[in-house]
Amino acid sequence: MSEQPRSLEIIESWVHAVITEPAGVVAGLGSEEARRNIEASVEDIEKVVTRSSRLTAIERLAIYNHSYFARLQECLRAEFPVLAHALGEQLFNLFTFEYLKNYPSRSYTLNHLGKNFARFLAETRPDCDAPPNARESWPDFIIDLATLEQAFSEIFDGPGVEGRQILDAGELLAIEQLHQARFLPVLCLKLLSFRYPVSQYFRAVRNQRDPALPQPSNTLLAMTRRDYTVVIYELSAQQYDLLSALVAGQSLQQQMSISSRTSGVDFQTPVPTAMSWIEDWTNKGFFVGIESRVRASERADASQ
Amino acid sequence: MNTPSWKLPNLGFGVGLRSVHFNYLLDRYPKVDWFEIISENFMDSRGRPRYVLDQLAERYPIVMHGVSLSIGSTDPLNFEYLKKLKQLAKEIGAVWISDHLCWTGVNGLNTHDLLPVPLNDESLNHIVDRIRVVQDFLERPLVLENPSTYVAFADSTLSEWEFMGHMANEADCGLLLDVNNVYVSSVNHDFDPAQYIESVPHKRVVQFHLAGHTNYGTHLIDTHDGHVMEAVWELYRLAHQLTSGAATLLEWDANIPDFPILHAEVLKARNYVESKSILEVPTFLPEVVNAPASAISNPIHFMVPDAQ
Repeated sequence: MSEQPRSLEIIESWVHAVITEPAGVVAGLGSEEARRNIEASVEDIEKVVTRSSRLTAIERLAIYNHSYFARLQECLRAEFPVLAHALGEQLFNLFTFEYLKNYPSRSYTLNHLGKNFARFLAETRPDCDAPPNARESWPDFIIDLATLEQAFSEIFDGPGVEGRQILDAGELLAIEQLHQARFLPVLCLKLLSFRYPVSQYFRAVRNQRDPALPQPSNTLLAMTRRDYTVVIYELSAQQYDLLSALVAGQSLQQQMSISSRTSGVDFQTPVPTAMSWIEDWTNKGFFVGIESRVRASERADASQ
Repeated sequence: MNTPSWKLPNLGFGVGLRSVHFNYLLDRYPKVDWFEIISENFMDSRGRPRYVLDQLAERYPIVMHGVSLSIGSTDPLNFEYLKKLKQLAKEIGAVWISDHLCWTGVNGLNTHDLLPVPLNDESLNHIVDRIRVVQDFLERPLVLENPSTYVAFADSTLSEWEFMGHMANEADCGLLLDVNNVYVSSVNHDFDPAQYIESVPHKRVVQFHLAGHTNYGTHLIDTHDGHVMEAVWELYRLAHQLTSGAATLLEWDANIPDFPILHAEVLKARNYVESKSILEVPTFLPEVVNAPASAISNPIHFMVPDAQ
């Protein structure tokens, strides 16, 4: 027992600084945050933490220090299994270790732990200061993969429409002037644009295969959830543009008008083709309904 | 006040709900007394984990066990978290809500570990005050568990069993006596685990936890990755006799076996509670058996999205 008990706040702040120090417990003792609370060296550490019959105080603290990073890295490995496969254990551990140093958890839930991982990878890519056309492309693949897996997790456990009525393709026939209709997307629909064919790589690894790292190829995806299963659809550029416009609240007619003006060419997706896409997306459960037909409760949900 | 102002039921022999068993449980709805969930894995879920929980809650008693209350932290209580906790408990009809005597972070940061508090009057008063606030907010008693710990503080003036007893009596809360944690901490801190079991206020013990641990020769780690060790079973038998029994739950968080094996492990407890003899609880450190290079101080409770 020390002569004057330290306050709980002082002890907790000191322990936190020591056990979250990336360079280990001994370095943690000398960290600014630890020393601001308690000045303790290896020699006099036992004035704060006692030894056991078999372990020194440093060894005991080291259990927590090791566990801090190992636990959170294991969680990130569970959230990003495909990225972990692509990088290999050593590189994944290195990236996640640096990530945790820069983005420590501030949430009560581990479900938010990886939410900044793709951003961190983009911020720290080795050529982040170079102009875009002078950059290497492999970091794009890593960032794309992290973005895809983060989206997968969010859709998996986020809000969905299971057990609720959504737009049925048969209802489209009854809608007059469908080209002017505004479609309301389901809450779990995400549209994503990638520089690599990450969805193919993602599927292969999740199916226990070991695919070669792919070559760059623009990839446009729609991701959603049906019956609690995340599903991924690949889209053409025209499909992606139209679906993005519909999700943003534009009608088919508005999208075609804007597309024509911005592209400066007369070519447009033929209306029958666009209509067939909309029917297909409706069958895939992309829409809750048409704006005027949506129940008030669904609109309220969608605005959350 | 040594007698609780409330009464919670003995639910029998339950197991911790883990996602690897979701399909098995939904297919068969096996005969199980009750399930314990990790609160944080479900309080924000609007996907399959919550759907599965809702199905099970219609058929089994559910107890909520949290890992992020951080009752010992000097950071302010997180009332947004408590609001979600209370809401989930209401929606699934949770029989009770438990968490740990620990802190998980400070200054707004979360280590997601169950960190030990210095055991003295200041921390006791701090924690008792916070338990009262939490219980008022939740409108139900809180049940707190003794964690496995690996460090002790020079500023501690109480044993852990003294601290747990004062805390439970003063705050009028329940105790979740993790028998494996008692054993792990007894080896790590050189105390007699039987004295711990004998000294806590038995009327306040609402629940027992059982789990496996890993022996590193110089210390034990609470890994939840295997069968319950014999010494822990003997402590459980002692605890059962002293408390006249309480709801008993097996935790298994790594190398999780098929559900029937998991369930059979907790049902072993019946053999121990029906047998009156108490063998001597080993206080020596057994030989190291298959300990991996390193382990994590407390088990990970992270819900992994199902593979599609």
